[in-house]
Amino acid sequence: MGKLLLTRLASLVPLLFLVAVFVFFLITLMPVDPVRQIAGEGASPEQLEALRTELGYDRALPVQLLSWLGNAVQGDLGTSLFTQRGVVESVLERLPVTAQLVGGAMLIALLIGLPAGVYSALRAGSLADRAMTALASLGLAMPGFWLALLLVLMFAVWLGWFPVIGYTPFGDDPVQWARGLVLPCLALGVSSAAVIARQTRSAMRDVLQSNYVQALRATGTPRRRIVYGYALRNAMVPVLTVIGWELTVLLAVSFVIERVFGIAGTGTLLIDAVVRNDIPMVQGGVVLIACIVVVINLSVDVGYGLLNPKVRPQ
Amino acid sequence: MTDPVAVAPGGAPAAAADRAGSRQWRMVLGRLARQPVTLCCLLYLAVVGLAAVAPGWLAPHDPWEVDLPNRLAGPGGEHWLGTDELGRDQFSRLVFGAQVAIRASFQSVTLALLVGIPVGLFIGYLGGWWDRVTMRLIDIVAAIPTLLFAFAIIALLGRGLTNAMLAISMVFAINFARITRGGVLVEREQPYVDAGRVLGLSRRRMMFGQILPNVAAPLVVQASIFLGIALLFEAMLSFLGLGVQTGQVSWGQMLDDARVFSAEQPLLPVFPGVAITLTVLMFNLLGDGLRDALGRQGSAGPPWGRDGRGSRTRWWRRGAGRSGEPAGPSEPDDDGDQAGRAQAEPADQRVGAWTTGGVRSLLEVRDLRVAFPAGSQGLMTVVDGVSFDIGDGEIFGLVGESGCGKTQTSLAIAGLVPVPGQISGGTVRLAGRELTGLSDREMETVRGPDVGMIFQDPLAALSPVHPVRRQLTEPLRRHLGLSRAAAADRAAELLDLVGVPDARRRLDDYPFQFSGGMAQRVVIATALACEPKLLIADEPTTALDVTIQSQVLDVLLDLRDRFEMSIMMITHDLGVVADVCDRVAVMYAGQIVETAPVEQLFTTPRHPYTADLLRATPHPDQPGDRLPSIPGTVPSPDSWPAGCRFQPRCSYAVEACGEQAVPLVDGIRCLRHQDVADMLSAGVYR
Ligand code: SF4
Repeated sequence: MGKLLLTRLASLVPLLFLVAVFVFFLITLMPVDPVRQIAGEGASPEQLEALRTELGYDRALPVQLLSWLGNAVQGDLGTSLFTQRGVVESVLERLPVTAQLVGGAMLIALLIGLPAGVYSALRAGSLADRAMTALASLGLAMPGFWLALLLVLMFAVWLGWFPVIGYTPFGDDPVQWARGLVLPCLALGVSSAAVIARQTRSAMRDVLQSNYVQALRATGTPRRRIVYGYALRNAMVPVLTVIGWELTVLLAVSFVIERVFGIAGTGTLLIDAVVRNDIPMVQGGVVLIACIVVVINLSVDVGYGLLNPKVRPQ
Repeated sequence: MTDPVAVAPGGAPAAAADRAGSRQWRMVLGRLARQPVTLCCLLYLAVVGLAAVAPGWLAPHDPWEVDLPNRLAGPGGEHWLGTDELGRDQFSRLVFGAQVAIRASFQSVTLALLVGIPVGLFIGYLGGWWDRVTMRLIDIVAAIPTLLFAFAIIALLGRGLTNAMLAISMVFAINFARITRGGVLVEREQPYVDAGRVLGLSRRRMMFGQILPNVAAPLVVQASIFLGIALLFEAMLSFLGLGVQTGQVSWGQMLDDARVFSAEQPLLPVFPGVAITLTVLMFNLLGDGLRDALGRQGSAGPPWGRDGRGSRTRWWRRGAGRSGEPAGPSEPDDDGDQAGRAQAEPADQRVGAWTTGGVRSLLEVRDLRVAFPAGSQGLMTVVDGVSFDIGDGEIFGLVGESGCGKTQTSLAIAGLVPVPGQISGGTVRLAGRELTGLSDREMETVRGPDVGMIFQDPLAALSPVHPVRRQLTEPLRRHLGLSRAAAADRAAELLDLVGVPDARRRLDDYPFQFSGGMAQRVVIATALACEPKLLIADEPTTALDVTIQSQVLDVLLDLRDRFEMSIMMITHDLGVVADVCDRVAVMYAGQIVETAPVEQLFTTPRHPYTADLLRATPHPDQPGDRLPSIPGTVPSPDSWPAGCRFQPRCSYAVEACGEQAVPLVDGIRCLRHQDVADMLSAGVYR
C-alpha cells in the first residue's frame, strides 16, 4: 500500500508542474493585456508602463515563466494586488471553511445516496425504485444555489431553526457552528446525493447480475448476506470514482453556496478577486485549487487500492 | 450492422456503411418516438426554444417595464407570475431569460462540438505524438474545476456572458475530444477502417465519413447533457454577477435579485428556479432517452431472455418461479404456441424406459419446463418437457450445442432460473424431496448441503474483491455452523483435497492471483464444502487449457468416489462425456433427443444430431484432421420448427418429419431412428 501511495505521489509532481505552466501560458498568451485589465479603463500609457514594470510583465516570457515556477516551487504563488498578502496564505486561511462545507455536504450525500441506491437496486422496477430514480433526476437538475435560497426561506426565515447567514467558528460556539453548517451542506450535498444514488444503483444492479452472486446463491447463501457481505463492496468500486469527481464538483459549487449564506470562504475570496481583476490572486488561486483537486484524486486512487486488491502492487 | 468489408470493392463499402448508418439512425428515431418521456421533453424544449427565438412574441410585457406601484406583486391578474422589486413582469422576464439561457447553452455546446470532435478524431486516428501531448493537456485542464477555469477566463477577458461561456465551452470541447478519441481508438481496429485504407479513401473522408458516424452515439448523449450543464453554469455565473450584464435578463440573475427580496415576496425565487430545474431536467431526460435508444440492447440476463429491467420482480426472485408465481405459466396464451405444441405429447411417453436401471434414483426430473416472458407473445419456453433420472453415485452427462437449454435445465434444478424466467411446469425430486414449489428461502437450505454447483468461468464465480477464504468458508459457517477458526481449518483441508498446493496460505489470496485451473479447484471446494449429494457442473472445463481440463476432471472423479455423490455434467464436449460420464442425454432445442449409456451412445448413436455431434468431436487417434462442423445453428426458442426441431439441419429428414412433433420413445426422438442406426452401423454417413 505504501508503495502505491509513493508511486502515485511521485506522478503528481509532473502534473502539478504542467498545471503551473499551463496557467502561466493561459494568462500570458490570451489576446488581452493583463496589465490593461488590472489598471482598468482610464489608465494612461505611462501608468500602464509603470505598472507593467512593477508587476514584472515587462520581462521576457521565459524569464517570467522561470520566476513564476521558481517561486511556485518555494510555495509562493504571487501576491494579491489589493490586500498585498500572499495568495497561498490568503487561500489557506479560507480553506478550512470550504473544507467543512465540502466535507459536510459529502457526508450528507453519502448518507442519502448510498442507502437510496442500494434500496433501489434491490427493488429494481418497483414503485420505490422509480420514485428514487425520478427524485435523483430532479436532484441533478436543481441548481444548488436555488435550493439554498429555498432552504433559507423555509427553515431560517420562516421557521427560524437555523441562522439565515454567517458562519460561526467551532471554537466560538460548537452548537452555533453546527446549526450554521446544516443548510449550506444540505443545499450543496443534494445533487451529489443524486449522483451517488444513481451510480450505486447501477453498480449494484450490475454486480447482482454477476456470476459470483449466482455462485454464492448456489451455496445457499441468504440474499441479505450476499448483498451486504459481498455485493456492496464490489459495487463500491465504481461508486468511489464518482465520489472523487463529486468532491471536485462540491469544491467548486461551494463557492456559489457561500454567497447565499454570506460565508467568507475560498469562493468569496476568489470571486472578489475576479470582480476586481486581481489577476495574480486568480492565477495563484487556480493553481492552488488544482493542487487540491489532484490530492483528492490521489486519495480516491488510494481508496480504490484499498477496495480493489487487483490494483495494489504485488 | 452488416460487415461492410464483405461487400465488393470500388467504393461499395462506404456506401454500405452509409446505408447501414442511416438505417440505424432511423431505427433510433423510431425508438425515440416510442418514449413518451422523450416526447414530452422535446415538446417542452420546443416551447422554450420558441421563447428563445422570439421572446417578444410570447411575453405579454416588456421585461424592463418598471411598475413601482405594483412591485413585488403575487401571481395573478395582469402579471401571471407576479412582479419583482421594480414591478417588472416576472413571466416576461422568464421568457427573455430563456433566450439568454438557451443561447448560452447552444453556443457553448456547438462551439465545443466543432472544436472537440475534430481534435478527438485527429488524435485518435493519427495517434502517436499528437495523441500523447493532447491527452496530457486534457489531464491538466481536468485538474482545474470548470467553474474556476471560468473565473480565470473572466478575470482576464472581463465579465460578460460570452467570456464566461467561452471558458465552459473549452472544458466541454476537451470532454468531447476525449470521448471521440476513445471511440476512434476502438473503431480504428474495425475491419471497415482497413478496407477504407486499402481503397485509398482520403484521411478526411475516413475520419469524418466513416469513423465519425460510428462514434457519434455517445457524443449525442453527452451533448444533450452538456446543454443542461451549460445552462446551469450560465445561471450560476449570472447569479454571481459574472455572467450577464445590464441589458440582459438571466434566470440566475433573477435569483440573485430574489435573494434580497424573498422575505417580502417568497414566491420571487420560486419561478426562475423552476425554470432552470425544468429545462436542465429536460435536457438530462432527453440524454437518457437518447442513451436508451442508441444503446445496444440486452447485456444482462439469460442469452435469449429479456433483462430484468422494468419487471416488477426483485432480483432474488430469480428462480422463485418455482414457488408458483401465479403468472399462469402452465396455461399457455392463445398465441403461446410453444407451450401448446409441447402439450401434444403425454408425459409418460417421454419418460420412456431409460431410467437409471436398478440403481436408486437420487434426482428425478419429470417434464420440466422453463419459460421466459417474451413481450406480447406471452411466454417463450426454453426448456420444454425434460425428464431424466440420475442415480446415486452416477455421473450423468447433458450434452448439446449452446442454446439448447442445458444450462437453464440445471439452473431450474437448483432453483436459480434468472428472473423473469420461471419454471412453468414439471417436477424435480431430490432424494425423494420435491423441490419445485419450495420458496427461495427453503431452497437456500437445499443449495449447499444437497446440491452444489460449479461453473464455466471459475474466476467470475469468485468475488474479485474478497480473499477466497471468505467465499469458501461461507457455506461451512452457514450450513455446518463452524466457528471462524474451524471453518478456516476445514477450508484449508478442502483446498488441499482438490489439489491446491500450499492450501493454508492461499486462503488469503484473491481470485485474480489464481490461475484458471486453480480457481476452478477453489470453486469446486466451495461447492463441495457441505458434501452435497448432487454436484451440477456446468461446462466446468471449457474455459481451461487442455492439460488442466483432464486434471480438473480427475479431481471430480476422485471426489465422486470419496463423497459418494452424483454429478450432473453439462457440456458440449463429447470428449469430456466419454472420459467421465456413465449415462448421457443429448439435448436439442429445449428437448432431450436421445439418451443412452455412454458406451452405447458412442458406438451406436441413433439420433442424427448425436451422430453429427460425434463427427464434430476431435478424435484422439486422428489428430490434425479438420473437423466437420454441423451446418446451420440451433434455432432460438421463438423459432423452433413445427415438426422435428432438428429437421432443418437433418440430412435424414423426410417429409413426415415436418408434420408433427416427434415424441421421445425408448430414449430416442426421431421418426427414422431405425434407418439412421442401420445406415450409421453400415458406415454410411450423410
Ligand atoms: S425425425 Fe426426421 S428430421 Fe428429425 S432427426 Fe429424425 S430423421 Fe431427422
